[in-house]
Amino acid sequence: MNRKKNRNIENFLLLFFLIIALLVPLIFGSNQYKMLLVTTVLLYGVMATSWNIIGGLAGQLDLGSFAYLGLGAFTSSTLFIRFNFTPWLGMILGGLVAVGFALLIGIPLFRFRIREVWYALTTCALVEILKVVFTMWEEVGGPVERYLPYFRGSLYHMRFGSYVPYYYIILGMLLIALLVNSRIARSELGYYLKALGEDETAAEVLGVNTRACKLRALVYYSFLIGVTGAIYANIYGYVHPSFFNGQESIKIAILGIVGGRGITYGPLLAALLLVGAQEFLRASLGGEVSGLYLVIYSIILILVVLFRPKGIATLFQDGYQKLVAREVKKKSVV
Amino acid sequence: METIIQSLFDGVLMGCIYALIALGLSLIFGVMNVVNFAHGDFVMLSMYFSFWVGSLWGIDAVLTPLITFPLLFTFGIVVYYGMIDHILREHFTIQIAVTVGLMTFLRAITQLVWKARPRALPYSFIQGSIQLGGYTIALSRLTSAIISLIIIAGISFFLSSTWPGRTIRATSDDLDAASLLGVDFRKTYALAFGLGSSLTAISGGLLMTFQQVDPTMGLRFGLLSWCILALAGLGSIPGLLISGLIIGVGESLAMSFWDPRARSLVIYLIFILVLWLRPRGIFGRK
Repeated sequence: MNRKKNRNIENFLLLFFLIIALLVPLIFGSNQYKMLLVTTVLLYGVMATSWNIIGGLAGQLDLGSFAYLGLGAFTSSTLFIRFNFTPWLGMILGGLVAVGFALLIGIPLFRFRIREVWYALTTCALVEILKVVFTMWEEVGGPVERYLPYFRGSLYHMRFGSYVPYYYIILGMLLIALLVNSRIARSELGYYLKALGEDETAAEVLGVNTRACKLRALVYYSFLIGVTGAIYANIYGYVHPSFFNGQESIKIAILGIVGGRGITYGPLLAALLLVGAQEFLRASLGGEVSGLYLVIYSIILILVVLFRPKGIATLFQDGYQKLVAREVKKKSVV
Repeated sequence: METIIQSLFDGVLMGCIYALIALGLSLIFGVMNVVNFAHGDFVMLSMYFSFWVGSLWGIDAVLTPLITFPLLFTFGIVVYYGMIDHILREHFTIQIAVTVGLMTFLRAITQLVWKARPRALPYSFIQGSIQLGGYTIALSRLTSAIISLIIIAGISFFLSSTWPGRTIRATSDDLDAASLLGVDFRKTYALAFGLGSSLTAISGGLLMTFQQVDPTMGLRFGLLSWCILALAGLGSIPGLLISGLIIGVGESLAMSFWDPRARSLVIYLIFILVLWLRPRGIFGRK
């Protein structure tokens, strides 16, 4: 009963968010800089939501999201630059390349039972490895930015003169990521993942094929991020090995943790609040004192994690439960 | 052939400093099992402190640890009681999240105070090089390596033969038994954390004799020390030293024979291979 109500309020909040999100371009649409900021915030939301599959549900602290993002970006953009291949198909291929790479790494990783910190560090190192590889691989990457051909509004090339269409594409991506997330969370796979996320050995003893489950989670996650990567390259209009950004990959995981591990809309909430706050602080303070916005941001981050280790999304759940409890009390008094 | 020997020299000298950096992390992770992602940024912070002290009072880079060591020790204690103490029993993801927050904080503070420009100290008095046969050995690196070895030996002695050192080892081996025997584990943890972070003060000062510092170099040092730790396993100081040397030599060989950009590639590839093949490290005891 309670759970059903919880779900209702989740759906209500989601609908509310969606209406606001759909209206955002009407408010900022004329200001391209602000549109880019809002799109960036949503992009982090997509990545953190996708991360929730492997990091939140399956409990594997993956710090390699920008590896998949970069692979998706390079696949789609290289096809686009070389063969005039449409990014709409390129992004699917980008997702598949990311999945291929994830399997290549994930199979031995899970086979050799690399867990916890060591899994986190391996994925963190992967991003740096790919960065070096793509810097040295002159045919595709190289140290110089590769710009995508400019078109003033071409649907085929996914190039628009404005950020508004990208905003809607990313919003669509976000809905897909949320949908995949909540579907997995309620499926058999989701229960297995939650079990092994809590205690892997116990789940194994109870007959969960942990390796296969983790691999499936990794596939969903890397595909979503790979597709997002292709869109990312189109938004910024170039590709560069610096897309493989270890620091930002860590940030995605942090958003997932701060939002609430395993809560479908938690990472999105964290991305909206934290990345939003960061961009706001950067825009209002950045010009005067460089680094000040990061000081404030990191202090917020530390405090949130110290005092809300289960995630900020639980704030809403707790608040709602208190509300329910109070109403029940009222009724019983009457 | 000459290039090989030359890069072996360079790698071995660098490896000693790497081992010193990793020793600090090993103390923190090995004793209290806390995942500190900010360790590389402690090194970065130490390098900035060395720069600050060195340029303010005109002290030579090698001598700056005399001042930065107590500074970093105090900082480590403050961080322990303010932050680490609250997350000892938390899930490791929470520990990583908090220390990543610390990492961002340190990076932001250094950016704020010293701006984003790379900083370096004037030439140290151990500058110059000696010729040995046909090979050149930079004096600054040689001195740094020797100092690192002395410090590592000193820590090894401290851990094996002094009372506080023994309490650190005892709590690392069996927290409950040590507590029953009257060891205050909080104080021991604080000591280990302070010591672990103050060791970066020494390596920071040594690195500043031949290198510049910028706010983004923390992650590289952090990953590097985790690689050495993975290679060495926990609880073996000679193992740590050998792993540091392996990493240093691998890096330097990659730089002279493959591509200067490939230096970190080799380190991370070694790291992943070791994790796959020897998950307990080559010299690990635990």
